[in-house]
Order: sequence, then structure tokens, then C-alpha cells
Amino acid sequence: MRVLSTVRFTLLRLMRNYIVLLLLLAVPIALLTVFSVILSGMVDEAGRPYFDQTALTMVLAFQLFGGSTVMSYLNEDLFARNRERMTVAPFNRTLYAFSILLAGSAFSFLLGAAIMAYTRLVLGLVWANWGWTLYLIALMAVLSSIVCVIFVCGVKSFSTAERLSEVYGVGFVLLAGLFFPMPQHAVFEFMGSYGNPLTLSVGAVRAVEIGNWNEAWFQANIVLAAIGFLFPVMLVMGRRRLR
Amino acid sequence: MSLRTERTWLANGWRLLHFGFLTYLWIGFDDAENTFILLLLLFLLTSLRWRFELPAVFLLPDILICVLYFPYTSVSYYALALPIFEWAQRGRWPFSLSVFVALGFVPFFSGWLLWYFVLALFVGFFLDRYARNLEQWKKEADEQRKARQELERVKAELLEAQRSVSKQAELTERYRIARQLHDHLGHDLTGASLALQAHAYAEDPEEAKSLLQEVKSRLERSTHSLRETVHDATPVAPIGIENLERALLHFQEIDVSLRKSGDLLSVAAYQWSLLEACLKEALTNIVRHSDATAAEVTVQVAGAIVRLLVQDDGTPRENNAQSESGSGLRSLNMRARALGGSLSTSADNGFLLVCVLPLEQEG
Amino acid sequence: MTIFYFTLKRSFANLANLIFLTAAPIACIFLPAGEGWPPLAYGYAYFGIVILFVAIRLAQIMMEDRVKGILKRLSVAPVRYFSYLGQHLLAYAVILILQSAVVVLGGWIAGQELHRPWALFALYVSFSFAALAMALAWISVFRSKDAAFLFYMSLIVLAALLGGIILPLEIFPDLLRRIAVILPTFWFAEGLKSIASAQPFADNVRINATLCLYALVFLVLGSTRRMQ
Repeated sequence: MRVLSTVRFTLLRLMRNYIVLLLLLAVPIALLTVFSVILSGMVDEAGRPYFDQTALTMVLAFQLFGGSTVMSYLNEDLFARNRERMTVAPFNRTLYAFSILLAGSAFSFLLGAAIMAYTRLVLGLVWANWGWTLYLIALMAVLSSIVCVIFVCGVKSFSTAERLSEVYGVGFVLLAGLFFPMPQHAVFEFMGSYGNPLTLSVGAVRAVEIGNWNEAWFQANIVLAAIGFLFPVMLVMGRRRLR
Repeated sequence: MSLRTERTWLANGWRLLHFGFLTYLWIGFDDAENTFILLLLLFLLTSLRWRFELPAVFLLPDILICVLYFPYTSVSYYALALPIFEWAQRGRWPFSLSVFVALGFVPFFSGWLLWYFVLALFVGFFLDRYARNLEQWKKEADEQRKARQELERVKAELLEAQRSVSKQAELTERYRIARQLHDHLGHDLTGASLALQAHAYAEDPEEAKSLLQEVKSRLERSTHSLRETVHDATPVAPIGIENLERALLHFQEIDVSLRKSGDLLSVAAYQWSLLEACLKEALTNIVRHSDATAAEVTVQVAGAIVRLLVQDDGTPRENNAQSESGSGLRSLNMRARALGGSLSTSADNGFLLVCVLPLEQEG
Repeated sequence: MTIFYFTLKRSFANLANLIFLTAAPIACIFLPAGEGWPPLAYGYAYFGIVILFVAIRLAQIMMEDRVKGILKRLSVAPVRYFSYLGQHLLAYAVILILQSAVVVLGGWIAGQELHRPWALFALYVSFSFAALAMALAWISVFRSKDAAFLFYMSLIVLAALLGGIILPLEIFPDLLRRIAVILPTFWFAEGLKSIASAQPFADNVRINATLCLYALVFLVLGSTRRMQ
């Protein structure tokens, strides 16, 4: 298992990637701090603070972008800069790609958990069920990584794959209706509810808050099913590209 | 960072601090959006001043803008600290005093304002002095550098002159000897030779006798003249290798042996003076910086060079050999180079000083 | 004007840029209106953010020139840096003005409630200038294209939020509302509000002038000639 020895370095590289840290950790923390100042004391009709929902949505929404690190590392190591070195290295490249996927997802998950910890410890937000939230953060991180791997393996040009991953992230945030209400149309309705991983995971956490475990499991399992469906797709595309 | 950029950094730092302070004032004590435009306008003028070297007259728009905003916001009074600073840092601090007049129009108690103005004046004044001192230091440093270069040039010229003078002296001396030989010895010897030839043909014994007498007296005179010429030409002071030997004779601190080889007479007098200086420097260094017990001096003349080696068996103390004796050796090295030779030292195995000089080509 | 035409061509050369420069404003036209807030339809507020992004993407082209050393080669050509900078900025301004025209004209045709289209257009144009100057000043500090863009992106999001484009300023606490005035995005949001609430003409002029002042300040700061 030579690949195993590289995981440590992949993680180190991830941790030293300051731009990713800025975008996926510092920016959400800054935004959440601003929001907590703006929305302090405001409650919705059900009497819950507005900030709870904003924080939850933001923690999960930033997971949509977590896959971009996996994508750029895969491209750098296997398709672009280090390609020749990796080709002569005596290990299984497919397995190495998989290790990057896992490490990237774990890193993204850790960042999500760190933001959660920040909201709890600094901003004083009480998470109703943090274990369940972490589970959904993990699901979102894995899903986003898989989607990004599919992009980078399915598209020839890396910059196109990057744009696609941005479309994936920004698109689902827009479809969830976070910036403006989506028009009343069956397609948008579906993409704003059961067809959108962001709304699904937010919904799953909200359902647990009101004690509706059936609904929560249902919504979370849809995300899980999406992962289960996309995973073989990723395998096929990845093997074809790495062959 | 050079000193000049350090000064602009300080000036820009104060400007930024000033705007930070104004913004703080504006956020804290003034709510009107419109008065923020005052800050923007002043910031625009300041950034222009940052980009381009604007003359002091361009501070008048700042003051005008501030005065126009007097009725609307108290921030405009504090903003006047910037012209004070700018004038002061341009060395026009009397102008900036005029801004203090504004204090008379302030409709609120203005102790803090006064202190802020004084602070701005002081910082500007400080930067101005700083800049002037900087200029002066630079000028002085330049002058000193120039003087040092001049000195080095003069030194090199002197060395060259010494060499040429010694050569001239030698030539003059040779010419004098040649003239003396020609004038006295030459005539007498020729006369004697002619008399001897005449003696071979002389038939009258009386005449032959007087001719022989003539030859004898001429030869006697020329012997005398030769002795005198040689005596005149032989210097009374020791020259050449004798000088070195004498230096060693007077040096009693440690055992020094001298070895010489080659044609020592082909070394010119000015070269001997340098070799002597080298030897003395080396011996002084041994006494001052080394724990040597014995030293060996070698003078070799081989081919077209003369070489002086001074080798001791001591262990020179670190640094000292480099720093203190450095100036003496450096000067010697320069003199050696001026004569077309070189001087090098090595501390690998005891201390070794080697001076190599090229010999004058005869002719 | 060779540099000007070339810059125009170059701005549209890459497919992603082309889509971004044309699709984003068109999408803005068709975004729905909110209830009570924002003052105009959502797209007309978010177009401000689009302008900020377009400005940095365009300014990045100049940064590329600097990073790749093209600027160094240009410095031996008989082109003054002032002319290089001026023609680039002119080309970018033309692109941004065209986009603003498309958004305003498109909204007018599509039947959006624009209140005063001319005032809106003027607001977009002056905000474009401010955004362009800010992007210019921003890139002059950086050496890496990606780092400059990503940092700026996060700043845009924060500035849009704090300036009152994403959320109404009225719900902000007092202190944040005062700090917001420092940001150009505040004046943009203020301009939209003034247009929607039919404030007097002088009010519009004041806001546009402030935005132009921002443009001037950042232009002065950002126009320093850097080679590295």
C-alpha cells in the first residue's frame, strides 16, 4: 500500500493551501460574523432566530465548493504538472486518485466542522443535533467531491471543468432560492426542493429540529442515493480517463 | 529599504493614520452621508500628492474644502491637520502655523483639536529634519568617499614617482662615473698607451727613459683617479641586502635565519626599500600577534623576479592577524602592486608572507 | 487606437469570458422583483455585483500582461504607459457601458418597472467606473492572478453584503450602517433606492458624483506603473 504513505502529504498540502483556507474557512467565518451582527435578535414566525437558518445554510452551502480542491489536485498530479512523475511512480494511480478524493472530502468536512465549532463557541449558536448536522456535512462533502471528479475526468479542458464546478455550486445555491425567489414552475420547484442537495440537507437538519426523523432520513437518504448513483459513474469515467 | 523610501513610508504612514482617525471621528460622531464626501475629496487630493510631487500651493484646495465644510461637520476642523503636516514636512512650518487660526472659529471646546494640530506639526517637523539630515549625511559620505579616492590616487602617483626618481638617480650616477672615467682615467690611459708605443720606436735612450717616466706618472695618476672614482661611487650607507641583514641584526626577540640566493645586485634600490618594509612589517607582526619562536627569511632572485619569504612557526591568533595587521599589509600590498608585483600571506602552517617583485629588464 | 481594439477583441476571446460578459447581464434582466425589497427587481441590484466581477475579470487581462512580462516588452515599444493604460481602461469602460445599456434597455423592453431608466443607466455607468478603478488598484498590489481574483471575490461578497445590496441596510445595527457608507457598494444601493423612491434629481447627481470620486481616487492609486 504505497498510496497510503502519500495521504499524509496530500493532507499537508491541503492544509497549506492558503487560498482554499481563505475561501472556504475565512470567508464563511467573516460572513457568519457579519450576519450574526445584522440578524441578532431577529426571529421568524416560529420564534426561531433567523441566524440559525442562515448559519446552517451557509455551512452546508460552502460544502458545495469543497470539491474544487480535489479537482485541482487531481488535475495537477495526474493530468498536468506532475503527470509524468506520477506515471513512472510505482503505485496504482487509480488508487492514488481515490486517496485524493477521500482526503479532499475529509478536509472539506473538517472545514465545515470548524465553521460549526466557530458558530457554537464564538457566536453562541446552539445546534439542535450536531451529530446529524455533521453527518449531512459529510454527505455534502463527498457528493461535491464526486461531482468534481466526474467533471475533471469527463471534460478535456481543466478550466471548463472549473467553470462547471462553479456552476454546480452557484447554481444549486441560486436554485435553493437563497438570493432571490425562483419563478413558480415545476422544474424550479423540483430543483428547489427534492432535486437540490443543499435544500435536501438543510431540510433534513430542519426536520430533526422539529423531531420528524422519518422526513429527515428520507431527505438525507436521497443525498446518499445520489452519491450511490454517481459513485459508479465516477469510477467508469475516472478509469477511462486514467487508463 | 533605502533611507529615502523609509521617509516616504513614514509620511504615508502618517497620512493613512490621519485618514483612519478622521474616519473614526466620522463614524463615531457624525452620521451624515454627505460629510463622508469631504473625506473622499481629501483622500483624492492626498493620493494625488502620493503619486506626484505637488508643490505646497496645492494644499490650498485642501484648506478650501475644509473651510467649506466648517458649517456642516466638526470633522473638517480635524482635517486641517493634514495641511499642517504637509507644510511642516516641506520645511514651511510658518505657513502651517497660520492654520492654527482656524482654532478661533471652532464652535466647541477644542483642547483635543489643538493637541492634534500640534502633533501633526511635530510629526511634519520631524520628517523635515529627518530629510535634511539625510541629505547632509549623504553629502558628507559622498565627500569622504571622494577624498579617500583622491588619497589613494595620490599614493599611487607617489609610488610611481619614487620608482622613477630612483631610476633617474641611478642613471645620473652611472653617467657621472662614465664621465669621470672618460675625463681623467681615459686621457691618462690613452696618453700612457701612446707613450708606450712611442717608446718602442725611441732610439735615444734619454728620450726612452723620459717616455717611460711619462707612462709611469700617467699610470700612477690614473690608478689614483680610479681609486678616487671607485671611492666616490661606493655609498657610505648600507644598500640592498645589507639593509635586510642589518634589520635582522637589530631584531633580537626570536631566532631569525636569513638565506639568500641568486644575483642580488640586479635588484633595484626602490625594490629593496619595499622588501625591507615587508620584512620589518612581518617581524613586527610576529612580535605583536604570534607566539612564534623562530622564523626564516629567504631572499631569492631567479629569472626575472625577486622573491622574499618570511615564514614563522607560530600559530597566529584568530581575527587579529586579519584586522589589526591588516592595514599595514594592505598598504604594502598596494605598494607591491604599484611596482608590478604582489604580496600574499598564508596562515596554514605558521604565518607565511611572500612578496614577489619583477626585476627591471637591463638595457 | 490599436491597443483599444485589441483589448476589446481580447476581452471576448475566451469562451468563459464571452459567456460571462453577455449572459450575466441578460440573466439580470429577467430576475423577479421582490416584495418591498430590493427597490428595483433583484436583477437590477445584483447587476452591481456583476459589474464588480466583470471589472476584476477585465482588469486581470492587464495583470496578465504585467505578470507575463508583456508590459516589459511594451516598454521598449513607442507606446507610452499612459496610452496603454488609457486605451485598456477605455475598452473596459466601453464593455461595461454596453452591458449597462443592455440591462437597462432590456428591462425597459421586457416591461420591468425601472422608474427612471436614464438615471439608472447613469448610476450603472458611474458605478462601472468606480468598480474598474477599484479592480485596477487591487491588481496593482498582487503578483498572482488567481490570488488577486479569489481575494477580490471574497471581498466583493462582503462589500455587497455590508453595503446593502444583498440585505436592506435598515435592518443593520447602527454602527454597521455607518461603516457601510465607506463602501462604494453603499452608494450604489443608495442610488437604486433614490431612483425607486423618486428623489429629486440633485440627489442622483450627488450619488453619481460620489461614485466618480471613488473612481478617481482608485484610478490615482492604481495607475502606478509596475513592471513585476
